[in-house]
Amino acid sequence: MTDFSIIGKPTAMVDAAEKTTGAGKYTDDLRVPGMLVGKILHSPYPHARIKSIDTKRAEVLDGVIAVVVGKDAPNPYGILPVGHDEHALALDKVRYVGDNVACVVAISESIAEKALELIDVDYEVLPAYFDPEESLKAKTHLIHDNKPGNLEKDYHHAFGDPDKGFAEADHRAEARFIANEVTHAAMEPHSTLASFELDPHTGEMGRLTVWSSTQVPYYLQHKLSLVLEMPMSQIRVIKPLVGGGFGGKSEVIPLEIIVAVAARKAQAPVKITYTREEVFWAHRGRPRTIIDLKTGIKNDGRITAVKARVVQDGGAYCSYGVVTILYSGALLGALYDIPHIQYDGYRVLTNKPACGAMRGHGTVNVRFAFESQLDELAAKIGMDPAEIRQRNLLKPPCITVNGLRVQSYGLPECIEKTVERSAWKQRKGKLPRGRGLGIACSHYVSGAANSIIRSDMPHSTVNIKIDRDGGVVVYTGASEIGQGSDTMTAQVAAEVLGCSLARVRVIAADTDLTPIDIGSYSSRVTFMAGNATLRAAEDAKKRIAAAAAKKMNCATEDIVFRDDLLLKKGSVVPPAKNDKSEEAEVTQGGASGSGRVEGQILRGSLQQKRKEEGPKEWMTFEEAVVAAIDFHGALTGTGSYAPPQEARGGKHKGGGVGPSPAYSYSAQVAEVSVDEETGEVTVHKVWAAHDCGRALNPVAVEGQIIGSVWMGMGQALTEEMIWKDGMLMNAGMLEYRSPSSVESPEVEPIIVESIDPEGPFGAKECSEGSLAATIPAIANAIYDAVGVRLHESPFTPERVLAALRAKRNAKNLNMTGGIDPTAPARLREHGGSLCFQNKGPERHALDPARSKNSLSSAGAD
Amino acid sequence: MSLPQFRLLRPRALNEAIDSLATHEGNVRVLSGGTDLIPSMRQKLFEPEYVLDLHGVTELRGIRPQSDSAVEIGALTTLSAIEKSSYLRRHFSVLTEAAATVASPVLRNMGTIGGNICLDTRCLWYNQSLTWRKGCGYCIKKDGDLCHVAPGGTKCWAAFSADTPPALLCLNAQIEIVGPNGTRRIPLKEFYTGDGEKYRTLLPTELVTRVFLPRESADYHGVYRKLRVRGSIDYPLAGVAVVMKHSNGQVEDARIAMTAVNPAPILVQRAGEMLIGKVIDDALAEAAGDIAARTAKPLTTSALTPEYRREMIRVFTKRAVLAAASN
Amino acid sequence: MKKELIELKVNGRSHELAIEPSALLLDVLRGDLELTGSKRGCDESSCGACTVLVDGAAMMSCTLLAASCQEREITTIEGVSEHGSLAAIQKAYGDWGGAQCGFCTPGFIMTVKSLLAENPDPSEADVRMALSSNLCRCTGYSQMYEAIRSAIAAEQHSALSSTGGSTGSAND
Repeated sequence: MTDFSIIGKPTAMVDAAEKTTGAGKYTDDLRVPGMLVGKILHSPYPHARIKSIDTKRAEVLDGVIAVVVGKDAPNPYGILPVGHDEHALALDKVRYVGDNVACVVAISESIAEKALELIDVDYEVLPAYFDPEESLKAKTHLIHDNKPGNLEKDYHHAFGDPDKGFAEADHRAEARFIANEVTHAAMEPHSTLASFELDPHTGEMGRLTVWSSTQVPYYLQHKLSLVLEMPMSQIRVIKPLVGGGFGGKSEVIPLEIIVAVAARKAQAPVKITYTREEVFWAHRGRPRTIIDLKTGIKNDGRITAVKARVVQDGGAYCSYGVVTILYSGALLGALYDIPHIQYDGYRVLTNKPACGAMRGHGTVNVRFAFESQLDELAAKIGMDPAEIRQRNLLKPPCITVNGLRVQSYGLPECIEKTVERSAWKQRKGKLPRGRGLGIACSHYVSGAANSIIRSDMPHSTVNIKIDRDGGVVVYTGASEIGQGSDTMTAQVAAEVLGCSLARVRVIAADTDLTPIDIGSYSSRVTFMAGNATLRAAEDAKKRIAAAAAKKMNCATEDIVFRDDLLLKKGSVVPPAKNDKSEEAEVTQGGASGSGRVEGQILRGSLQQKRKEEGPKEWMTFEEAVVAAIDFHGALTGTGSYAPPQEARGGKHKGGGVGPSPAYSYSAQVAEVSVDEETGEVTVHKVWAAHDCGRALNPVAVEGQIIGSVWMGMGQALTEEMIWKDGMLMNAGMLEYRSPSSVESPEVEPIIVESIDPEGPFGAKECSEGSLAATIPAIANAIYDAVGVRLHESPFTPERVLAALRAKRNAKNLNMTGGIDPTAPARLREHGGSLCFQNKGPERHALDPARSKNSLSSAGAD
Repeated sequence: MSLPQFRLLRPRALNEAIDSLATHEGNVRVLSGGTDLIPSMRQKLFEPEYVLDLHGVTELRGIRPQSDSAVEIGALTTLSAIEKSSYLRRHFSVLTEAAATVASPVLRNMGTIGGNICLDTRCLWYNQSLTWRKGCGYCIKKDGDLCHVAPGGTKCWAAFSADTPPALLCLNAQIEIVGPNGTRRIPLKEFYTGDGEKYRTLLPTELVTRVFLPRESADYHGVYRKLRVRGSIDYPLAGVAVVMKHSNGQVEDARIAMTAVNPAPILVQRAGEMLIGKVIDDALAEAAGDIAARTAKPLTTSALTPEYRREMIRVFTKRAVLAAASN
Repeated sequence: MKKELIELKVNGRSHELAIEPSALLLDVLRGDLELTGSKRGCDESSCGACTVLVDGAAMMSCTLLAASCQEREITTIEGVSEHGSLAAIQKAYGDWGGAQCGFCTPGFIMTVKSLLAENPDPSEADVRMALSSNLCRCTGYSQMYEAIRSAIAAEQHSALSSTGGSTGSAND
């Protein structure tokens, strides 16, 4: 079946008008009667024990309704079952500057802010850890008492025989790469509104409704239930429009819990919307990652073995950390054919905001290292960088050495297409000095084959209700966060049912109305919720077909659903479709969903007339729906999806992370120029081919590819969280430099369709996989342009200039405070903050850095 | 983050504004474009009792060419208006070029030339929220007694980070200041103190009302080069303005000024003077860059390392000199 | 602080409002007038999500005092749709993928409105520069350029067909 009527066509998002008119409501746009404002008091210290909190002065301030502290909701929670290390508000300790200490509920924002100043907290400041390798040495003052050496988790994997692989290699390369910390910076700051209802039977506070900017309503419902000690059935989570997530809203963020606790204590609806600074503190972004990578190849370019030691600076809480560190290792596989892999991964706790999942979760930084090193090896053996990638292709269907099942594999075509479109062969190595081309590849999961909460529950479930008006309502727990989830759902339902898109209404992400779905992250929605939608629509379609077959006097399989009609196979267009008869108008009226009373009556009488006419050659969708309801009594469909057992990966410890029912593939060529006097890098164009299985909505797929490439470019060139002694120096959109339109390059998206055997209509992910290739493609292009290899991202002008000077043996200006990743302890201590070479004076009388032998700030000059 | 509460004064004329400043001396902040004041007030860097909104003082708005190609610019003239003025572009191109690099187009619709001249000095330890500053123990510029970028010192090193003042310095601009005791007119370079904390000589009761560009500065070749990470929005991390006039292939006059690398915008007198009477070539341009780089004192007040920013002063000066010589 | 009475003209309608002198235009639009289309994305006048037109010029409503905006004409995203249907730029942003999460979209549309009012046929570089006042994290801006080009073409087409009525109908 390739003759589609809905999918495969560029389609405006079903919620586009809400967004372009400003009519759509995001959480912060909502108000309920009696709603109060919450403001959170944050820790000024990176690591401190709370000796006491006195809230009396704040409580008596006029306009303050309640002040909430940790003991108001002491149950721990965390996104991973193995990482329940967070509390709504600090119980006894704060672990990063910005950690949550108390919350004021007041009648206005300014009163709440004033009240925060009146809360007296007595802290005992503790030594703090900012660098993961220093943190690992900690013996005392652990960040969490149950994590010796501040080690959240480590994994040591060997697949195949790595030593043998390296022994077989003709060439080896080994280097340290560092990718500094980046964050999502979604345009919408997190916001949550919580409201309790009074129970009519008990007269007490009963059900809780929470509106929140979340990617996963189900997880929020689950964690609220843990912390508030309420059954999940008493909690309703509604996701309004969400202004971007990129992973930053894929787990439960402190304000989501705090606001519910606050609403309970204030006995009134409360809303909290983060300031931009609080968004940066909530973070959960991509950790600073230190990668020691070794690759071996044969003279013919074949990779013999890879060894990676990865250290992630995870921040103060577990968050998704255990998953991140596993992805970093697992996704060394499934892109190329690598026979031997050794992986040692360390997720380390430090006194900074927790890192979590961010677009391309776990794979991005290691991919930067790997693709850079592969480029270096290609140069070593004099092979074209595109060719060395072609020499190492997988031969699917296959299962990789680390247990990942690969079926559809569009990588060869991706490489071919980018090489062709960028005129790689004609131009590579022939551009004027200072201008260069670089290539890199990447891949990503189409959803995780194993959910973070182990159970036999389907990952997605979808319900469809069709009523006599011919309107199709799809109920899905999948979260639209701007990626086009609702549109995809409507498209899949309409395609299966052969009805127009306008008939379909998607009700999404409301835990009272929609069945459980584990949400929008790890690029799972199209694959999993799409498959569930497809199955639900097939289920409904079966019922319609059964009733229609009776009317049409044929077998159910002989009926074709298309263009709001049911036709017998082989027949083309019903006569009514061509002349301007009443029936045709009625059909159109139904399709536009007008639902006018006259229309209903007219339709009713026509249907009655046609009913009496005897067997039919064709039926309108509405007629068929009415027939089905008359026949079955109700017309619904349900469908669910769980990844097949074969796709769930190996049995080794940690083997549950990495497997996916299908992988997307990307190849990219970047064209850059480098100003050798300033070190400034300009990206002129990126050609990005992405294998998304099948493009259900090409305009959305292209948007996701471009957006991923663009975000990768941000990480490659300008974005980085800059730390000094646990203070985030650039907690805002002014200093955290998300690229503006001026320096954003043209991106040419190239859609490659490998038609996955298990994806809905063959579709796979398209929203994350492209990101990881961009960083190394740019790094490799810089090498092509000026002959220097950057080992640390972002490639800021000072880093590029320092590398250029080092190459020329020019006077070292020490422009980067010792950028060489093999050298400076100082660099690590400050978490990539190259700006702040000089340690400032002691900040507080309590600062343990004042005592000479202190652990904190070790290594500062 | 809410604004601190204040009373709003909305004068309709300059004398009303001056009266208000005198009445509420020390308790009032002046609002023109608001692009710096409003975010700073959110961060509680200023919590004045009164805010004096100059929007209604229309007499301070507008570009008024004088008969002899000198020009008077009202302090409330927006940076967009300057950027788009064909008169200024023709005669004082270094100013239009610098104005066109300020922040972003929308912010230039709001920000004024007077505001840009008076822009508060900036530092990563200062332009932060109240909560953040509490975390770092405050700093010498606001509420604290130490400087985080020059430990041990008692001086504030916050960087003056506006784009148009170096251009104006090159043009030998003068500014008119009005206060309760009348009007005074001073060369712009006397306006700045070089101290990051008390960075300007303006009294709390005074207003900068007009900018004058003298006839003698008209029709120079002018170039402004700005170091920024993004092509928009960013404050300068270093900036160099150059103006130059030729006669018979030789430099008749040249001036070079820089911004964002010291607590004040600085006219690098020696760098400009050394070009006079010469024919510009790479070596000469480089030598001017060296002098400028040596005059710059960048510290860790902003993104990118001080060493790098100093190096860029060298490169940008060289490039600006060459560009000014060729156009 | 005691509230003061002001009169604000938004999208052609006058409103009498009691506000604190320190109230920002953005907060008054979103709170008092329930015009929540303008968004708050940052606290430092950097992101452009709150962009509105003030006397036709694009400005950031998070950086204006509401009381300073008296006697000025304010247009918000809610004032852009014409006669109950999407304006060309709104339709084009939907069709071409110019909006993903949509949070920055109202601000961008106001910026584009002011650009096109001043310069109805902008070059690619003009558009790029104009859009640099606003940040987007989803789109990488590319699809916005296509949307803007298409909106300009649609406007030109409708201008042609409305001025040259008879020739327009001959094409049907």
